Amino acid sequence: MSKEDFFIGWSAQTPRVDRRFMLAASAGLIASAAGAGALMASAHDSAVGGRWDGVVRDWTGLLLSEPYPLLRTLDLDGTPRTAFLATSRKTAVRAPAHLDGAFVRVRAGLIARDNHAMLAVADGEAGIVADAAAAPASLLDWPAVAAGDVMLTGEILDAKCWFGAMRPGFGRTHKACAALCTRGGLPLAFCVGSVCSLGGEAPLLLDAGGRPHGRAILPLVADPVVLRGRLVQVGDVQQIRADLGAIHRL
Amino acid sequence: MAHGYRVVQWTPFKRAFDSVLLLSVAAFLIAFIAASLAAFPGERAVSAIQLLIRAFGACAFALLTLILMIGPLARMSPRFLPLLYNRRHLGVTCFLLALAHAGLVLVWYHGFGAINPLVSLLVSNPRYAAIVGFPFESLGLVALLILFVMAATSHDFWNAVLGPRLWKALHMGVYWAYALIVAHIVLGAVQGEKGPIYAIVVGVGAALVVGLHWLAGAREVRADATLAPEEEGWLRVGPALEIPDQRARIVTPAAGERIAVFRDGAKIYAVSNVCRHQGGPLGEGRIVDGCVTCPWHGFQYRPQDGCAPSPFTEKIATYRTRIEAGVVFVHPTPEAPGTSIAPSLVEVSTP
Ligand code: FES
Repeated sequence: MSKEDFFIGWSAQTPRVDRRFMLAASAGLIASAAGAGALMASAHDSAVGGRWDGVVRDWTGLLLSEPYPLLRTLDLDGTPRTAFLATSRKTAVRAPAHLDGAFVRVRAGLIARDNHAMLAVADGEAGIVADAAAAPASLLDWPAVAAGDVMLTGEILDAKCWFGAMRPGFGRTHKACAALCTRGGLPLAFCVGSVCSLGGEAPLLLDAGGRPHGRAILPLVADPVVLRGRLVQVGDVQQIRADLGAIHRL
Repeated sequence: MAHGYRVVQWTPFKRAFDSVLLLSVAAFLIAFIAASLAAFPGERAVSAIQLLIRAFGACAFALLTLILMIGPLARMSPRFLPLLYNRRHLGVTCFLLALAHAGLVLVWYHGFGAINPLVSLLVSNPRYAAIVGFPFESLGLVALLILFVMAATSHDFWNAVLGPRLWKALHMGVYWAYALIVAHIVLGAVQGEKGPIYAIVVGVGAALVVGLHWLAGAREVRADATLAPEEEGWLRVGPALEIPDQRARIVTPAAGERIAVFRDGAKIYAVSNVCRHQGGPLGEGRIVDGCVTCPWHGFQYRPQDGCAPSPFTEKIATYRTRIEAGVVFVHPTPEAPGTSIAPSLVEVSTP
C-alpha cells in the first residue's frame, strides 16, 4: 500500500482508492436508505377509517348528560345521530346541568367513523347554549332495548381516538394516549375482535348499570381482554354493559 | 490528564461525508413518507404526526445499526476506516432523529391531556412487571438519555478532559442504548403491528450488529492467542526487512498491551499499539511525516519517544529493541510513556 492509500481524516487529500470505494459506498448507502424507508413504510399498519374534518360548525340537538355528555342531533346527511361531546383536547366536556334534556346549540368539529360520531366542542362548557327551536320528534324517546348476553374478546379504547382523532387510534403504541383519554373522562369503546385495525364494531363500554366505568378500568385499557356482558341498543348506539369483575386481560 | 485536543478543520472529505449522511437520512425519511402515503391512501392514511413519529424512529434505529456495524467492519478491512473517522457526526445525527421521534410522541400521545405529558409518559402504563404489555416507552426514554450524554460528550474536548479510559467506558453505553432500543421496538411497535415487517427489520439489524462483532472479536482472540516467541526475555518480532517501510508489525506479549514495531527506513522503533485517543490500533497505521499516525482518527506520535508533536501532549509507552542477524527483538516491558529510546539500525541495501 503506498502512502497515497492511507486515509487520514484531517488531511485535505482523500486517497484515490478510498475515493472510488467511498463514492460507490455513498451511492449504495443513499439507495439502501431510500429502499429501507420505502419497505418499512409500505408494510406497516394503516389507520383504517375515521376522520376529524377540522371544520367547526353549529350543531343543534338534544343535550343529555348520561351516560356521557352527548347530543342527539341530525348528521350532515340528516340522519338522526348520537354525537358524544368532548373538548378538542383529551378531556371530557361537562354538560351544563340546567341544559340537561334541553334543545341546545353547540359549535364543534365532527369526528366520525362509519355511524359513530363525536363532537369536539370549540369553547368547552361555555360553548353549549340553549336554542329557541323545539326538538324534532325524530330525536325524542330513544328507549334502551336489551339485545342479549354475550362474551366478547377485543380491546378497550377511548372512543375519541377510535372515531378518528388519531389515525391509527388503537394498539400498543397508542396505549398511553388511550389511558390519557380515559383519565380525561372520555367515553370508552370496546373494539370487538383480535385485530382492531380491520375495522369492525365498537360498542360503547359501560358498567352493568349503564354508567361510565371511571378510572378503575385504566389498567385494562388498550390491552387484549375478554369480557362477559349485556348488549343494549339505545337509538343508533350499541352499548356493551359489563362490570369490571367481568373483564379479564387475555 | 491531557488537556490538548485536536482542533480539526473542515476538509473536503468531511464535507462530502456529511453531505452523504444528510442525503441518506433525507432519502430514508422521504421514501418512508412517500411509500406510506402511496400504500395507504384516503381513509387508510396514517395521520401526519404519527407518520413522522414512525419515520424518525425507524430512521434512528437504522442509523444506529449502521453506526454499530462500522467498528467491526473497520477492524476487518481498512477500507471502512474513513467511516470510523467521522462516526461522531453519525452519532449526533442519530440522537437528533431519536429526539424528534420522542418529542413528537410526547406532544401527540402524551400531550393535550389532563396531566403533564412527562408524568403521562411514566404513569400511563404502570405494568412494569409485565413482559407482554411492558411500558416500552420508558426503555426508549433511557436509551435517549444515553444517546444524549454520548452526543454531548462526543467532542474531542471531552475525550481530553475525561481521559480516554473514562471516555471510552462512557461511550460503550451505546451498546446499552442499542439493546434498550431493540427492546423498545420489540415490546412496542412489533407487538402492535399485524404485519411482520418491524420484527424482521429489528431481527436483521440486531443480527448484523451481533454477527459482525462476533466475527471481528474472533479475529482479535486469534491474534491474541499467537504470542510472540520469547528468547531470553526478549520477544522475537521477525526479520527487520519483512516489516514494510513506514509500517509496523504488531506483536502480542504474554502480559500487557500489544506492541507495534515500526520500520522507518533503516530505523526500528517499538511503541504501544494502543492509541491514547480512543484506543485505535497504532500498528495498523503508518509513519507520516516522521510520526506514527493512528488509522482511526489520525493522532500522531513520534516513534523515538512516543510523544505527540507539539502543541499536543499525548504520550504512549515506548519499548527497547535490538537486532541480531537481521532479526528484530523487542523487550516486553514498557518504558514510561514519553521515554526516549534510540532506534535499532538495520542495513537496508539500496538497489
Ligand atoms: S483512536 Fe482516535 S486517533 Fe487513534
